[in-house]
Amino acid sequence: MSELFSNIAFLQQGPFSIPRWEAVFQNIDTLWQGMLVTLLVASLGLALALALGTVLGVMSASHWRVPRAFTRGYVEFFQNTPLLIQVFMLYNALPILYPGLFIPVIAIGILGVGMYHGAYISEVVRAGIQSIGRGQLEAALSQGFTYVGAMRYIIIPQAMRIVLPPLTNQAVSLIKNTSVIAIIAGGDLMYAGDSFAGRFGHYGPTYILVGLGYFLLCFPLAIFARRLEERTRVA
Amino acid sequence: MSKSVWLLLLALVLALGTLSLVGCGGEEEPAEEPAVEEPAEELPADVQAILDAGKLRVGVKSDVPNFGLQDAATGEFSGMEIDLAYALAERIGLTMEDVEFEPVTAKTRGPLLDNGQLDVVIATFTINDERKLQWNFSEPYYQDEVGLLVKKDAGFEGLADLDGKTIGVAQGATTRDAVQAEADAAGITVSFLEFATYPEINAALESGRVDAFSVDKSILSGYVTDDSMILPDGFSPQDYGAASKLGTDGFTEFFNEMLAEMEANGEMDALLEKWNLL
Repeated sequence: MSELFSNIAFLQQGPFSIPRWEAVFQNIDTLWQGMLVTLLVASLGLALALALGTVLGVMSASHWRVPRAFTRGYVEFFQNTPLLIQVFMLYNALPILYPGLFIPVIAIGILGVGMYHGAYISEVVRAGIQSIGRGQLEAALSQGFTYVGAMRYIIIPQAMRIVLPPLTNQAVSLIKNTSVIAIIAGGDLMYAGDSFAGRFGHYGPTYILVGLGYFLLCFPLAIFARRLEERTRVA
Repeated sequence: MSKSVWLLLLALVLALGTLSLVGCGGEEEPAEEPAVEEPAEELPADVQAILDAGKLRVGVKSDVPNFGLQDAATGEFSGMEIDLAYALAERIGLTMEDVEFEPVTAKTRGPLLDNGQLDVVIATFTINDERKLQWNFSEPYYQDEVGLLVKKDAGFEGLADLDGKTIGVAQGATTRDAVQAEADAAGITVSFLEFATYPEINAALESGRVDAFSVDKSILSGYVTDDSMILPDGFSPQDYGAASKLGTDGFTEFFNEMLAEMEANGEMDALLEKWNLL
């Protein structure tokens, strides 16, 4: 085995050498712990983002002025300020403004990515709903559907097919964006990698594995979404 | 379907492999050259290479008063480590204008040396055995100890009062291990939160997310305010050395000779006095 690699220079010395890989694999538990935190923040964050996005998206596609104005303000705020600042504020500014109010870092992560991507998803949902011809809604209403009922049974099922690809993009971005909590000592995969690379210096293998970890979280989701898309197309 | 998935994965792995091959192959060459034994007047090969390039690229701290501090308005660097870099440039045969400073953090300084973007790092870099396996270190030019910055109204008087508390440290620094060892010796338990930069740790101290901010005392002194103070405890003396890429033995020897000379002729004492570090 070692003979096989003996003439590959970058495995012999430097940041990617074999002893460094071994050192990282001996402490792989650190990264594994981080992966679990990332998985937790990403899954709960995604649930929050989808729920928020759907509700806000329907609100912004409605013909009532107040909910439309509210969602407009929400979307503009979250789309046009960096997630990093939102998270940093929740972490450091909130306890100063309201002494004793310490939101746990994991919750900040879930709230942060959930509210941020909720704004983007609401735009995706709004565009999807508006892409379905007005006649569909009018027909549903004339058949005695309520507005919510028409959305639930007529409009959203048709819009689903259209919004699935951009929705997948948002979900994948959300997973990767959970890494911002590394900056507030969130204990996630990125933090675990930073901490490990910093303490022992084996940053080469560490960051490759961290990258692979995010890939393994995102890639199956993209595949799953593509399957779902193919299925809805047949139907 | 699954076939194309595997093909994609394979392509990714191959791309990564080639990338790292190219990346390393290009940078490896200067390190491979052995430091040749030269007559006393001539420069070692790796120092000559710096002179030939016409510039000395130095990694320094930009946020540590008295060691390496960048003036936000002018962009100028100042501090004891900055002066050391100027002295080094002069000894190589370069001028002050030929020195290019690059701000580094505890996390970035190692990779920047490895990938050849810096010739030397003079940035409150603590020498230890593990790091010596990864980079070349000069003899120590300064000794410091780890300290703890706390808020005055928290009522802490020493490390012993920090039982069960959270301590903010910098990623990639030796502080965490040093504080842990000291806490074990004192029979108390502490937990750690790691941040990338000192201002972030300070913000976490201000907001109460951490109970103490721990790093070398010289660095802490730049963060003391009317509301905070450095505890009298000091532990695990830290030796600062200049680091260069592993294998640049000629350069390290050259730097050590300069340090020895500066210590013998009193220049080092003058430098320490200038920056209030005696």
